[in-house]
Amino acid sequence: MRIPILKLKNYLLISVQVDLDDQTALQFQEDLLNKIHQEGSFGVVIDLTSVEMIDSFIAKVLGDVVEMSNLMGAKVVLTGIQPGVAITLIDMGIVLDEVPTALDLEQGLDKLQQELEA
Amino acid sequence: MKPSVIEMIYSQHDEIIRQWKNEVTELNQFDSTLPTNWFHETNEEFVNLIMGTLELEENEAKEQFRSFAERLMNAGWPLSYFTKGMQLFRRVLVQMLTSDESFESEKVFETLNEVEKWVDGVINQLVDEYTGSWENTLHLQKLALKELSAPLIPVFEKISVMPLVGTIDTERAKLIMENLLEGIIEHRSQVVLIDITGVPVVDTMVAHHIIQASEAVRLVGAECILVGIRPEIAQTIINLGIDLRKFPTKSTLRKGIETGLELTQRKIISTS
Repeated sequence: MRIPILKLKNYLLISVQVDLDDQTALQFQEDLLNKIHQEGSFGVVIDLTSVEMIDSFIAKVLGDVVEMSNLMGAKVVLTGIQPGVAITLIDMGIVLDEVPTALDLEQGLDKLQQELEA
Repeated sequence: MKPSVIEMIYSQHDEIIRQWKNEVTELNQFDSTLPTNWFHETNEEFVNLIMGTLELEENEAKEQFRSFAERLMNAGWPLSYFTKGMQLFRRVLVQMLTSDESFESEKVFETLNEVEKWVDGVINQLVDEYTGSWENTLHLQKLALKELSAPLIPVFEKISVMPLVGTIDTERAKLIMENLLEGIIEHRSQVVLIDITGVPVVDTMVAHHIIQASEAVRLVGAECILVGIRPEIAQTIINLGIDLRKFPTKSTLRKGIETGLELTQRKIISTS
């Protein structure tokens, strides 16, 4: 299964609608990096509102994707992480230190804009 | 209980009561706060109840014990009074049976068996009654604590405050974290101020919970400011070597709100 990546002006929007499995996550990592390369995007918002569970591998992939995208010059913001997911991540000791987060898509876009302007 | 046994007990009615009362008076030593005359009245009632319920149906007897126990429970009588009282009753009966040689040994066994069963049944019921009431109380108190525990109050658009009062244990920390995260989503807060003015002690465990909560808050997309740090708390935090540099800390809620407004690109201005 592939996760659709939408382009909006200079940004890329991804809304993850299913619980990610390892294969999908790796595929997504590849697709996103290709898309950034192709479109020359400045910013990426990954919305996780409908994701109910994130395991340590998916968390690592997400962290990696953020860093890889940063390397390619695109800022990434994770949005809509659910309370339950946040608690599980913290319990597992995964803090995603370097990753900017926002409450929802709207605030995520605002945050991207701020970061890009700064 | 078998009619023959009941008859046997009734024939010795007065003697049993006399002995039981003698022995039970010693019980008063374990709780000297009970007034003496009240103690005697209750003894009287208790022994009459025991005697009175011998020939009743099981359910009816249980009902009578239940109401009696409930009344004394509310008055604060200890459970041990009942269990010891019942055990004494058994002991008195056993003494009586064994000292009187006119009984056949077979009959003594049978009677003892009956009495044993009956006394144990009553004790079990009383214990159930008491533990039920304790569990109930505990449950209510937990509920009350939960209600008091951790409200998230929206004070400005995008800014909420969670005042914490009282000691924080692991269970409460969990509740705090859940309330915090769900409140953030509900109020769409970007900044939450955790006010620990009312937390008497901040040790490594409490600090750990606060750090975890603030990290979870960051993951859902908001920011955490710790406010209400009193001088002694600042000292303990540093002396314990706790690192709180990951998120902003302020001494008072007022300063925290100013910082919160700043983070959301706003400020309070005077209109004059």
